[in-house]
Amino acid sequence: MRAIYLIARREYLSYVATWGFWLSLLSVPLFMLVGGGLPALIEGSQPTRHYAMIDETGDGYAEALRDAFAQRSRDEALEALRAAAEPLGREDQLPAAEAALNAEPGLEGLPEAVEALGLPASSVSIDGSSRFIEVDPPARDAEALRPYLLGEQTIMTEEGEQPLFAAIIIRNDADSPVGVTVDYWSASLTDTALRNRVQDRLSDILRERRLADAGVPRDLLNEINAIDVDARELNPERTGEAAAVSTAERIPFVVGVAMAFILWTIIFSVVNMLLTAMIEERGNKVLEVLLASARFHEILIGKLMGVAAVSATLLIFWGGLGMLGLVGVQTLLEVSELPVADIIGAVLDPGLLLPAFGYFIIGYLMYGAVFLAIGSLCDTLQEAQTLMSPIMLVMFIPLFVVMAAIESPDSAVVQIVSWIPIWTPFVMIARIPSDPPMWEMLATTGLMVGFAIVVIALAGAVFRQGALGRANADSVRKLLKLGKKKPA
Amino acid sequence: MAETILALEGATKRFGGVPAVRAMDLTVERGTITGFLGPNGAGKTTSLRMALGIITPDEGRARLFGKAPNARTLDRVGFLPEERGIYKKMVAEDAVTFFGRLKGMSAGKARQRAGEMLERVGLGDARKKKIKEMSKGMAQKVQIAAALVHDPEFIILDEPFSGLDPVNQKVLERMIRAENEAGKTILFSTHVMEHAERLCDRIVLIAKGRKVFDGTVNEALGTVPRRVLIETGEGPGAGPVLAAHGAVTDDGMTGEGTHRYTLDLAPGSDAQDALKALVDAGVRLARFEPVRAHLHEAFVHLVESAEREPA
Repeated sequence: MRAIYLIARREYLSYVATWGFWLSLLSVPLFMLVGGGLPALIEGSQPTRHYAMIDETGDGYAEALRDAFAQRSRDEALEALRAAAEPLGREDQLPAAEAALNAEPGLEGLPEAVEALGLPASSVSIDGSSRFIEVDPPARDAEALRPYLLGEQTIMTEEGEQPLFAAIIIRNDADSPVGVTVDYWSASLTDTALRNRVQDRLSDILRERRLADAGVPRDLLNEINAIDVDARELNPERTGEAAAVSTAERIPFVVGVAMAFILWTIIFSVVNMLLTAMIEERGNKVLEVLLASARFHEILIGKLMGVAAVSATLLIFWGGLGMLGLVGVQTLLEVSELPVADIIGAVLDPGLLLPAFGYFIIGYLMYGAVFLAIGSLCDTLQEAQTLMSPIMLVMFIPLFVVMAAIESPDSAVVQIVSWIPIWTPFVMIARIPSDPPMWEMLATTGLMVGFAIVVIALAGAVFRQGALGRANADSVRKLLKLGKKKPA
Repeated sequence: MAETILALEGATKRFGGVPAVRAMDLTVERGTITGFLGPNGAGKTTSLRMALGIITPDEGRARLFGKAPNARTLDRVGFLPEERGIYKKMVAEDAVTFFGRLKGMSAGKARQRAGEMLERVGLGDARKKKIKEMSKGMAQKVQIAAALVHDPEFIILDEPFSGLDPVNQKVLERMIRAENEAGKTILFSTHVMEHAERLCDRIVLIAKGRKVFDGTVNEALGTVPRRVLIETGEGPGAGPVLAAHGAVTDDGMTGEGTHRYTLDLAPGSDAQDALKALVDAGVRLARFEPVRAHLHEAFVHLVESAEREPA
């Protein structure tokens, strides 16, 4: 035990003392922060686009489109106000907020509406709507508009001289079944948001006009447009009001799958650490010295424990930071829709956390021992990569299965894969929230533990040969060649 | 009777069916310095690994302090393997402390002893230096310090002099002698016969996995014929006279006008008898020089004899 502890301690300290450890410790939260903030940053940094609209039909489509855009923006604002009010129980203040919004044209009344909910004016914003601004057309036909669209000439806006982003020309078209076509002129081939918006709204307008022409009253039309079926999800295990399935109930499934991914990521990154350290140690010839003080199994277990402690440190740090982040988001931005308490509750649920811990230990020992054995056979990382390739392929399969388990955790494929010991840790953890039968959990776990013992014993034997320099990567190649038939 | 510290009793080890060590009997008595000699691939490292319990003999057994090698007995052994290895990214003092702790020392005691040992091998000023920043010789001295940090009763050194310059070889030789004078038992393997000749009370020579000699240095020297170099002036030839005392090689005339012979004395013959016979025969002697045999000759002679034997 002393040797195991000392070897584990030395391994742990040697990792913690490296820049790489601190980089990986900080890189994940940094990545999450950047990953989380990047879409908002990209959205926020989008330049304002100026467009012109020319209606050649004389049927008022341009005006109808302007009204539709304004209404859409107001609907989005109302939705955002509702989303902000509901978690805080301030639904009764919504009519006042709506009135404040409608009191001003466009979205000018939004800050007052937000304040009517008792929130800071800046805490609710509508993304995307305001980055397209209509300007008066600098010319009346496509040919004359071309220099403005190509940036050769500019238009005067509130932001100064700007190029014209797009020109929308609505014209009659006898060939079109609806009689109208939109020519959307723009030098940008990728930003299609405005084109899509025009297309959608104009289709709505044409549809409504045709229905009105067919004699459908305006009230009925509004009623039809407002149809939105509410499908209540109910759990047959419960009765009455309690049968309704809440968002919080789905969280354990998401947490289960997330844990399976985290488990995979940690095992994958940590066993690579083991492999490179082992190759370095083989190069340093330290094993022979260690063997005079410790036995093979003590060195093997010590190394595995040391690196497990490294991953536990990463996990505790990241997990703690994640929890703090969740609580922080809720506390600082009062209006967050995140069900933080439910997420934390699901993560800390012993029914999920304890099996997750067990699966991590077994999975880590199983893969760790194999990677250590490979490391003990190889002098260089290149040599190791040849032996690792098949194992890496095997390791990637559960990722796809876990993804499938998000939709249907009890599908036949997911169930079958649970029985394959090398994949059990990842797949079973994703299945736990769907309450698989106890016998299946025990049997798959038992099979996995038995298999892990065999793998660790075999890896130990390979490690013993590799550590004493009695086997190397060529030995494995020779062994594999033995299995191939010689040509006649 | 001296206590037996290490005993290999009929130990045989095969790798892939090929014997690396065959029926090896080896004992090391307390307080002695034993040289473990043999050509490359003779089975020295395999024998030492069996002695330490790193590998198990296929036949026979290894006893360390009278017991099968285990954690407790290994704590009493200091081992410097042939394959030098140490954690290069560690500071010298930390590395030596780590190996001291592995041998059961407390953290404080191990650190104190690490400082003392590094001082002793001449690395007192480099104790806080990372091993990767040291020269090969310095790193080797750190490893010697690591092998001895726990003040072991029994020290096994596998090729301890290789990689050291002549000055540091002397330092190590003095250390080995000092440890032995302090009552430690030492077993070391080497290719450098001068060290074995100077240091060892006893030598064990192995070849092709078999022990071919086990005895004192003088007994080893006794296995090679004693040699006499003779040069004669004008007059009767010495050849026929010398033939009665051993094998004579006629080396011909020297540049100085003398005739040179080499006499390998026959067992039981004495150089004095040969000298008397030459004088009695009226041979004019210009040179009569009995040559002292060295362990090197004994080594080559014994190994070549063993290799001539069928496997």
